[in-house]
Amino acid sequence: MRRFRFGVTARIVAVLVVLGVAVFPLYWMFVTALSSNSDLFADQPRLTPDLGQFGVFVDALAEGKAAGWLLNSLIIAVGTMVLSVGLGIPLGYALSRFSFWGKAVLTVVLLFTQMLPEALMVVPLFALFRRFELLDSLTGLVLVNSAFVLPIVALILKGAIDGIPKELEEAARADGARPFTTLTRINVPLIAPSIAATAVIAFFHAWNEYVFAVTFIFNPDLQPASVGIANFIGELGTPIQTVMAVAFLFTLPAVAFYLLVQKYVVSGMTAGAVKG
Amino acid sequence: MTVVEQTGAPKTTTPGRPRRRPSPLGSKWTPYLFLAPAALFILVFQAVPLVQEVYLSFTRTRLLNPTRSEWVGLDNFNRIFGDPEFHRTLLITFVYVITCVIVAIGAGLAVALLLNKKFRGRGMARALVTVPWAAPGIAVALIATWMLNAQYGIVNRVLDAVGLGVPGGAILDSSRYALPAVLATTIWQLFPFTSVVLLSALQSVPQDLNEAATVDGAGRWATFRAVTWQVIKPTVGLLALLMTIWSLRRFELIWLMTKGGPVGATETLVIDLYSQAFDSKELGSAAAIGMVGVVISLIVIIGSRLVARAVEKGDVR
Repeated sequence: MRRFRFGVTARIVAVLVVLGVAVFPLYWMFVTALSSNSDLFADQPRLTPDLGQFGVFVDALAEGKAAGWLLNSLIIAVGTMVLSVGLGIPLGYALSRFSFWGKAVLTVVLLFTQMLPEALMVVPLFALFRRFELLDSLTGLVLVNSAFVLPIVALILKGAIDGIPKELEEAARADGARPFTTLTRINVPLIAPSIAATAVIAFFHAWNEYVFAVTFIFNPDLQPASVGIANFIGELGTPIQTVMAVAFLFTLPAVAFYLLVQKYVVSGMTAGAVKG
Repeated sequence: MTVVEQTGAPKTTTPGRPRRRPSPLGSKWTPYLFLAPAALFILVFQAVPLVQEVYLSFTRTRLLNPTRSEWVGLDNFNRIFGDPEFHRTLLITFVYVITCVIVAIGAGLAVALLLNKKFRGRGMARALVTVPWAAPGIAVALIATWMLNAQYGIVNRVLDAVGLGVPGGAILDSSRYALPAVLATTIWQLFPFTSVVLLSALQSVPQDLNEAATVDGAGRWATFRAVTWQVIKPTVGLLALLMTIWSLRRFELIWLMTKGGPVGATETLVIDLYSQAFDSKELGSAAAIGMVGVVISLIVIIGSRLVARAVEKGDVR
């Protein structure tokens, strides 16, 4: 009996330690944003947020360029989400429901792209972007981010469509529906949760993307938040509270949305990798 | 490879063919109609650039004058493989990848087993533990750099308090501690993913088998080996593959924390490739380094497939 009690206590302590490790850095980002200068550089730093300093979030958005960065990130992310899901749904449908010449090759290519580092592709893409005048444009980033997230989106959606009984489509076809109508009327509503999950993946792929943004954008007004925040690292001019406030505003939506759809994201990602 | 795919696609738009009622599966061009836009996209932004990069790796091309490239055959490869600094890069990449794979999966498994037991607030705990994985890499690099700050970082303050402080405190500037610090940050971000995936794999462990083994007097470890491990083994294999590939291509976290320094202590292949291209402005060498990474990834993928197949054939269980 005593051993059992001890086991339970040890388990609770272990869970709390794991959660502490998981959450602490973001908590510390929040605390730092809300610290006064004297707390920040004191011998004993303050360990809890000073809510009286809450104005730092308002100031971070009102002054400086942070609001513009976040807006640029939002535009890139929404564009990437719409384009990659819009292209991924028909691709996933083709992979799931049809057998066609080249299907095996296409599947291998989709998996192969998962191992290509962005840093490797940045040089030839830079040349391509210069030729098509896509440098210094948010459209260019939408295009390239969509291409990089499209394979995983398509593989997840293929897995989702695989799970729908074919009989539903056959009934619709018997009534004379064309394949495209079948897709939009029958399959899309049924895989709505997976579509939402891929939308979140695509959105935050673009929201977080750094390498292409830092290489292809020169105009400071077009910089997304990832580049703006990265530039804070090693730079000394901006107060650390402002830096952390901007970073926190950048992080919060990503964490919140992932928590909402994480079940689908995880099952989709592993399914995509297993079934290839 | 995609080129082959593409040649079929435009034909779908061949005009003049009278439209007929769709057969049960549509015409044989229907699938190409669905995949053509996406395939075109991947062709333009992934396949063509990759082919160009392969070409570049056999040339001497400078960033400042990229249109003039000179074919040099295998020179780039001969040079990088003869360079002791590149050997160090390979070694660091190896250490980085192996550590990420083993520790991320080990920690993930421990956390998954912990969260698999019933307790109050388990749902909340499972959600909170995924926070690191959901956080953007840029933000993680920023907060890690701040926490590791030599003067005011919380890590140094804690280490000093318990008497383990690094002299001077500059962890990221120390060739000895920079790589462990980068690794710890990487693993902090990865372990939620491995633990959530393993947690879902653990759901298919038959509880009655676990109980039967315990009743038969098997110890916890023996039960784990005989029951749980057998069920999650394929998932662990898949995670090992994913962790390897992700770690081989990870860029921004390392770049923003250390830029590969100090003196190359955290320089993995991708960091080396990026600094060759944009600091040394040697696009040819950069491409050659990238190809080494791609070939390593391919070997890992094909190798893991072969191992998986052998396991499937070898023992039924």
